[in-house]
Amino acid sequence: MKILVSCKISDQGVYLNGEIQQKYAKETDNWKKDIYSKLELDYPKFYKMDALAKMAFIGFELMESVCSFEHFEDNDVSLLFANRNSSYDTDLRFIESYTEKGSPGPSLFVYTLPNILTGELAIRKKWFGENIFFIQENFDAEFFIDQINFYFRKGSKACLCGWVDSANDKEECFLFVVENTEGEITPEELTKYYKQ
Amino acid sequence: MGGKTKLENGVSELYLSYGGLITPLGDTVTENFENMRSGKSGVQKVSESGFNKEDWPLGKITSLTSENRYTEILEKICDALIENVGNEVLSNERTLIIISSTKADITALPSDTFTSTRAILKKKLNPAHAPLIISNACISGVMAINTAADYIIADKYDTVITIGIDGLSDFIVYGFQSLFALSDQSSKPFDKNRTGISIGEAAGAIVVSNKKPENGAFCVNYLGGSSSNDANHISGPSRTGEGLFRSINKTAERSNIDIQDIDFISAHGTGTLYNDEMESIAFDRLNLNSVPVNSLKGYFGHTLGAAGIIEVISTMLMMEHGLLLKSPGFEEQGTTKKINVLSENLEKEIQLALKTASGFGGGNASLILKKSL
Repeated sequence: MKILVSCKISDQGVYLNGEIQQKYAKETDNWKKDIYSKLELDYPKFYKMDALAKMAFIGFELMESVCSFEHFEDNDVSLLFANRNSSYDTDLRFIESYTEKGSPGPSLFVYTLPNILTGELAIRKKWFGENIFFIQENFDAEFFIDQINFYFRKGSKACLCGWVDSANDKEECFLFVVENTEGEITPEELTKYYKQ
Repeated sequence: MGGKTKLENGVSELYLSYGGLITPLGDTVTENFENMRSGKSGVQKVSESGFNKEDWPLGKITSLTSENRYTEILEKICDALIENVGNEVLSNERTLIIISSTKADITALPSDTFTSTRAILKKKLNPAHAPLIISNACISGVMAINTAADYIIADKYDTVITIGIDGLSDFIVYGFQSLFALSDQSSKPFDKNRTGISIGEAAGAIVVSNKKPENGAFCVNYLGGSSSNDANHISGPSRTGEGLFRSINKTAERSNIDIQDIDFISAHGTGTLYNDEMESIAFDRLNLNSVPVNSLKGYFGHTLGAAGIIEVISTMLMMEHGLLLKSPGFEEQGTTKKINVLSENLEKEIQLALKTASGFGGGNASLILKKSL
């Protein structure tokens, strides 16, 4: 297996394949919309997404700006995602909708599942492959490598993986694509990209 | 008939056996089956359960006594596992626990909703490894079993205990109410007069292992499984059943069986207009129109993260007893594609059973079970 491309968005900024990207510097609290604008995309659905799905979407689009996935067919790519806090922020906003704002908000409720973000990515790319979402205490590189091996054994050509988390004003977004080719990935290598 | 598995690493067969079943219809696997067989439903009107104090029909476990429903259900399923599986297996170095839940203890907010799950499992079951948690909407349970198989085939573990669990909460009831997805009578999957979902709560546990249970308990073979996204809409089912169609095809291929040899389908069948319609279209595209099918949501309600697990347990019970359970609430064909929904219990031996699930996020998952020789 080989890492085709990776994207980490941290407080320091946007890293693509380990290199910081000045073009996408996080200048405001509204960095997701800022980067969306800089990417010059025309995808109105973005504005309806919750913070978690927006982060995953931005991370994916940044990767696609430097790496083509067009050689993959629509069943080829498995989406393997995990985070610590599930849909925490949106859960709280949904509760607020019925405890303080009059009535439960259906558009919020739909996002109270973490795997909605994998659905958003699948829709964006028209990818019909496998999807799975785990809740873990911390990013675990060995766990991801195990999962990738499982999905390669089952025939996936590539895995789009991610750790996307948002709770108590702490946001984390790390996405990477692994292709089913010769070679090994070490947990240390993956963790290095994650820690940027 | 096919059925030889394409398993690797010296693991020639995978077996599923009962770990426990806590639902509105009972606290044991046997009690649940007896109640289903006699046509009882665990779905009853619950007074003032709605946001505007409506009395929604829900699959509520009436025997719970503590304030925290989720915690009590989790403790009960742990006790069932200790009794049915034993501490030796549960805390073995070669055993992993996988939890399938959509919301875990949602009442813990703003504290972490999954912390208590880890703590209770540690205290009650003393596992050698931290449990794995899958939260993938309503397909979580089927995915937990498929993931268990992945780990055993890769020879990481000999046994994986899969636990599906969700409790009733205002959060979930108000949420589905806000989507206008709740039915004002007990849900009627696949029926002409279906109007929506009845939410429920439950926990179920299945033991996935590379060997048969040592005590000679009933088990079935797991042949294969898969998932597929609709790539269509985050909360609406595909109009063509594309993801479900692809997942069933992939699962059949991995199981090395001919789809036409499937004897029975335990469908997802939530009771909403669009979901059930979508499933009928997918089954029709696969020429599965004459295969007996049921939805078990009329017995338990839709138990979200528990659904896949408790419905696989029910499927195993049907295989054990040679009895297909009727699909509660179904009276008249209500999908544009005709499928063979069971309106009465039917005595029939099942060799190959298909379990399917579909959920928010466009997810679809399936797995195939074979009766063990």
